[in-house]
Amino acid sequence: MASSLSPPEKASYHHRHSSKRYSTNGNVESSSVSDFVKRPKISPQNYISCSEIESEFSHHDPEFARINNGSFGCCPSSILALQRDWQLRFLRQPDRFYFDELKPKISDSRSVIKRLINADHDDEVSIVDNATTAAAIVLQQTAWAFREGRFDKGDAVVMLHYAYGSVKKSVEAYVTRSGGHVIEVQLPFPVNSADEIIDRFRIGLESGKANGRRVRLALIDHVTSMPSVVIPIKELVKICRREGVDQVFVDAAHGIGCVDVDMKEIGADFYTSNLHKWFFAPPSVAFLYCRKSSNGGGGVADLHHPVVSNEYGNGLAVESSWVGTRDYSAQLVVPSILEFVNRFEGGIDGIKKRNHESVVEMGHMLVKSWGTQLGCPPEMCASMIMVGLPVYLGVSSDSDVLKLRTFLREKFRIEIPIYFRPPEDGEIDPITGYVRISFQVYNKPEDYHRLRDAINELVRDGFRCASLSS
Amino acid sequence: MESGERRNGDSMSHNHRAPKKPRLAGLLTESDIDSEFAHHQTGVARINNGSFGCCPGSVLEAQREWQLRYLRQPDEFYFNGLRRGLVASRTVISDLINADDVDEVSLVDNATTAAAIVLQKVGRCFSEGKYKKEDTVVMFHCAFQSVKKSIQAYVSRVGGFTVEVRLPFPVNSNEEIISKFREGLEKGRANGRTVRLAIIDHITSMPCVLMPVRELVKICREEGVEQVFVDAAHAIGSVKVDVKEIGADYYVSNLHKWLFCPPSIAFFYCKKRGSESDVHHPVVSHEFGNGLPIESAWIGTRDYSSQLVVPSVMEFVNRFEGGIEGIMIRNHDEAVRMGLMLADAWGTNLGSPPEMCVGMVMIGLPSKLCVESDEDATKLRSYLRVHYSVEVPVYFLGLRDGEEGVKDKDSGLITAYVRISHQIYNKTEDYERLRDAITELVKDQMTCQNLPSG
Repeated sequence: MASSLSPPEKASYHHRHSSKRYSTNGNVESSSVSDFVKRPKISPQNYISCSEIESEFSHHDPEFARINNGSFGCCPSSILALQRDWQLRFLRQPDRFYFDELKPKISDSRSVIKRLINADHDDEVSIVDNATTAAAIVLQQTAWAFREGRFDKGDAVVMLHYAYGSVKKSVEAYVTRSGGHVIEVQLPFPVNSADEIIDRFRIGLESGKANGRRVRLALIDHVTSMPSVVIPIKELVKICRREGVDQVFVDAAHGIGCVDVDMKEIGADFYTSNLHKWFFAPPSVAFLYCRKSSNGGGGVADLHHPVVSNEYGNGLAVESSWVGTRDYSAQLVVPSILEFVNRFEGGIDGIKKRNHESVVEMGHMLVKSWGTQLGCPPEMCASMIMVGLPVYLGVSSDSDVLKLRTFLREKFRIEIPIYFRPPEDGEIDPITGYVRISFQVYNKPEDYHRLRDAINELVRDGFRCASLSS
Repeated sequence: MESGERRNGDSMSHNHRAPKKPRLAGLLTESDIDSEFAHHQTGVARINNGSFGCCPGSVLEAQREWQLRYLRQPDEFYFNGLRRGLVASRTVISDLINADDVDEVSLVDNATTAAAIVLQKVGRCFSEGKYKKEDTVVMFHCAFQSVKKSIQAYVSRVGGFTVEVRLPFPVNSNEEIISKFREGLEKGRANGRTVRLAIIDHITSMPCVLMPVRELVKICREEGVEQVFVDAAHAIGSVKVDVKEIGADYYVSNLHKWLFCPPSIAFFYCKKRGSESDVHHPVVSHEFGNGLPIESAWIGTRDYSSQLVVPSVMEFVNRFEGGIEGIMIRNHDEAVRMGLMLADAWGTNLGSPPEMCVGMVMIGLPSKLCVESDEDATKLRSYLRVHYSVEVPVYFLGLRDGEEGVKDKDSGLITAYVRISHQIYNKTEDYERLRDAITELVKDQMTCQNLPSG
């Protein structure tokens, strides 16, 4: 390590008053997305300090090297406290809260999100529990179109082979069941360039259109989960438009707070992202963006929340704002989160940039120590990166990686997800296991040193995955 | 504030332990109960437990511990703690409702969600040709609005036919309801149609009546109704729930209404049958196909803490004499007593006899208030909230041609009812405040028409 300070610590020393904002490729750009953020003129001394950050996450288990922000995210204690306030407001006098406060406050949250993501209208932004719910909403709409004959049986839905497990099941439950034909686009991993993905995607679309079929929906991850790679989403959406795909749905569970999320730039019909992963919301809250001028299928008017309430028919955003008696507090704290992130230099963009730089730095550090490789080039990752495990460990199945993960958790108190990458024909001694490391504001280099050392110790001790019991 | 001493967060200083249990020190006193509900807004006559329920401080504490446990190390909790905790809650409920098997019990957010699950399934049967177009769903006209919309979204959309049975109200006996229901089933079967689903409320919401649900389900079986779904949103903690006795195919009840759980949690009972049940949670996760209880136990990253506190709730209710049964009896008796007090004071009536009430009672409002529409009812409710700090829902009874209606002591037609609730935190003063508010409005010759808005 070149310096003893982690990037966030370094940053807080550099008193930059500059209003430059950085995208993850390091270029200075005049930001359109974050323009609205009325960033208070915080002087450097008033940026959140390291000890304040520690305090905000003091409820995390201190024993653990928590390098898996990607799975469940995190929530600072000041936001948790505000969430509790909202919970108490409801409990205090729920009828009054329901009649007077709930709807306008959810609208406020939607407004904040709308501006954060550069959508045109508040109506385009619905708040739901998570990306899994958003997927059910979009896929249900597709299913109706098949059932009601607007789509021909056998018309295609194209998705990535690396799509999230829940989304694949949702496609099975809604699309396959109603007569749609599903095509999975195989992507290479490790991957060396965005072009590899773009080429494979084109091939997938072709096969979707074979035999006179129409491609009714393309379901594309912005950042795949396992293995994790940032997909060249803008290019893929353009290709979809050129090739006459009816609708494009971007699953960006790892979206806001991780990559740049600009609806107009990306140009998809539907876009969903969790806020509890990388945007410091408590569990759980996500947005589903639905472009107003969306064509194909039943259109935006046919989107419905599957949990039907008395708000049915009033538009998805309103339907989603009342799905029966629930605790909506996670959805209500969204405006406060903006205040939290603006305590960091550069706000959410600054956080993204530093997370990216740090995770790449840690990834390189691990690669060097283990003699392995990254799963993708740095420009194809955001705040997570895949790092190859030493071949010696003998990772040879999905069950191996689960057991190894459990072992690391129980013996070393390290939380890290592991991906099994099946060997391909002709490969000699390929890397078959990759860890997915995340970097978020609470992480420190020691977390990754512990992982480095744990794996090195296992290799030294002649450890093999085969030795782990079920 | 509560009798057990738990400090926020401190009890989690040792990890991986189950939330600490409160120190049980015998039965709760009145001042203990006041403490447990100290977070309720003071100065409000909160006589509407039926809408949003309540949650005592000690259960909120238990919930917070679960939340912190997750936040502390979410991966570990997901892999090691969550499923066990959910099974523990389901087991408690399964015993409480006399289900045969804990696999018959799923946890969902609320009754609205359960309705979507049942109706999606019915909708698929229509779409996939298992049911003929115009086969019927029979329900009561006063079914909860969300359920009606769900029927529109999933059944009417695919060609299913709906029959609404008009609930007689005010009602005097179970027989009145049973005979109307039989008529509804007849209509549902007319012209060679099959009644594929009957939706029966165990306790209707507005107007609120305890239904003869066992008899109605029996009639459904006798008349060849394919499936029966009992929407019992208000039931658990209000009335004894024995799902085997009731005999429905599907039964849902919210635990955050009358069983002291935080928002929100409901149990959804699906009777085990030989064939595949084809019920699925609409939010599909990787657990799809593993059975509804497992599907519902993971619908993506969520805060499942309200579903994990059920064992803590049972500890709470067991600190009352007679446990939950004792609470139910006392709530019923007090609600009826207060109802009679109000009816007497206003010269009106009860909407149903005491044996057809639970911890909620409908009481006629004086005709002089001139409630003539749903909007009037809403206006009056707001006025009571803002000017008298009384929270009580108001029901407008739209009489149809030929219906006689009931008159009050001024010989005016009773067109509206309040639905009072009694839960353990309520006091006589709450109802006296309502009594006096209405009496004052009448005395001042206020009507819904001259009530100032807002």
